[in-house]
Amino acid sequence: MEFVSPEGLRLDGRRPMEMRQLRAELGAVSRADGSAIFEMGNTKVIAAVYGPREVQHRGQQLNDKALIRCEYTMANFSTGDRMRRPKGDRRSTEISLVIRQTMEACIMTHLMPHSQIDIFVQVLQADGGTRSACINAATLALADAGIPMCDLVTSCSAGYLNTTPLLDLNYVEDSAGGPDVTVGILPKLDKVTLLQMDAKLPMDIFENVMQLATEGCKAVANYIREVLMENTKQLENRRGV
Amino acid sequence: MVGLSVGEKHFIQGGIAQDLRTDGRKRLTYRPIFVETGVIAQANGSARVKFGGTEVIASVKAELGRPSSSAPDKGKVSIFVDCSPTAAPQFEGRGGEELSMELSAALRQCLLGGKSGAGAGINLSSLSIVDGKVCWDLYIDGLVISMDGNVLDALGAAIKAALSNTGIPKVNIASASTPDEQPEVDVSDEEFLQFDTTALPVIVTLTKVGRHYIVDATSEEESQMSSAVSISVNRQGLICGLTKRGGAGLDPSVILDMISVAKHVSEQLMNKLDSEIAAAEAAMEEDS
Repeated sequence: MEFVSPEGLRLDGRRPMEMRQLRAELGAVSRADGSAIFEMGNTKVIAAVYGPREVQHRGQQLNDKALIRCEYTMANFSTGDRMRRPKGDRRSTEISLVIRQTMEACIMTHLMPHSQIDIFVQVLQADGGTRSACINAATLALADAGIPMCDLVTSCSAGYLNTTPLLDLNYVEDSAGGPDVTVGILPKLDKVTLLQMDAKLPMDIFENVMQLATEGCKAVANYIREVLMENTKQLENRRGV
Repeated sequence: MVGLSVGEKHFIQGGIAQDLRTDGRKRLTYRPIFVETGVIAQANGSARVKFGGTEVIASVKAELGRPSSSAPDKGKVSIFVDCSPTAAPQFEGRGGEELSMELSAALRQCLLGGKSGAGAGINLSSLSIVDGKVCWDLYIDGLVISMDGNVLDALGAAIKAALSNTGIPKVNIASASTPDEQPEVDVSDEEFLQFDTTALPVIVTLTKVGRHYIVDATSEEESQMSSAVSISVNRQGLICGLTKRGGAGLDPSVILDMISVAKHVSEQLMNKLDSEIAAAEAAMEEDS
């Protein structure tokens, strides 16, 4: 199947190095301490953060840092074919773990010993790149909750199809079976906190693809920063400062 | 669930007794209602509804299926509700299952009528394509995103909005098949039939706190309830379904009184909802 036309356009009309449209909104869940909706094209996720609060199961309490918990769930209607999937299947558990580890890298957990922070991400529409979208949404929700972080983690994926590196794969491109590199970075500190790849890829090409994904992360970081600045300005206005 | 001090409890109960609730509403006033349609691109119809701090999403997906042998001239509708952990941390893992089941069952009772499909708020005959052979299966999925009381009414409203947003593809039936064979059908991806939702009821939940009952209770108010009755009423003022929740017993005469109040309130809610849905549909057309 042809994923890049001779004119250099992808199936959804994007250029190879073009990202899908981003949209973010803070404070979507009124009862949560922090929440955000994040959209990458047709992929749409909601993240809600509860905490820092008392640890619920005493046995899990950590004496030197906060306990971070994360749960990833997909809505029944999120995929093209409707399915009723059992809660806590292997894929969800794995993604929950990935998100937790990525967020742990940026939250300053040592400032909040004996407490717990819950991050819940809910996928409303899945069109490839849910992993990245969830991490971006979680970052925004954590920032909205005012939880101290050393940087904003952002994530983006890139693939390699028809001998072209492609940024931000959608579902059709993702299921084509080519390599899919998901990268999460701390943009200010310039560090990689998440790196996952399936399928095989020569070293030199991998470098290009990863570079592309990193550029994508930086673009997402810029956007997230803008959204947060805008939100802070609005809060400032409301307080009448 | 909701941590309240003795003083706060008295404040809520006293406010309800004096017809001035903690957020300034009267006993039979709703919180601001917000409706947005077409939020899920992959579904045939969808809507997001907010009642104050409560937020739910409903989506409708139509699939071709076989009608059941007991009702060959009717389609099938199934309703499932999920409580997302984003709404409350206790829904993590399997924690939300019990509430999800309770809400799904209440919605089925309020909207789908009896087993035979008689008295249903949704017109099941309109979903039939070829009697006894092919029909539409409607899957209605509700998702609770944020919870601040009165989830059932919000879900009912979201389902109504999602169904009025639903386009069911037109089906052409290839003729000349023998009566025993499964007929071949051709689903059009251009022509859609609008789903008729005028007969669809709205759900009004009356929550009894002390000697009085209120509509659209918040979580704090729900924590003080003795019992709640959810009544679904259609446009003609007929009762389509009823469920009671909560531990305390109710006097039969009180139930009858609640029903008449619900009937009165449902008219206002129905009108408000219809205008919100129309506004949401108009806003969506402007966008596209």
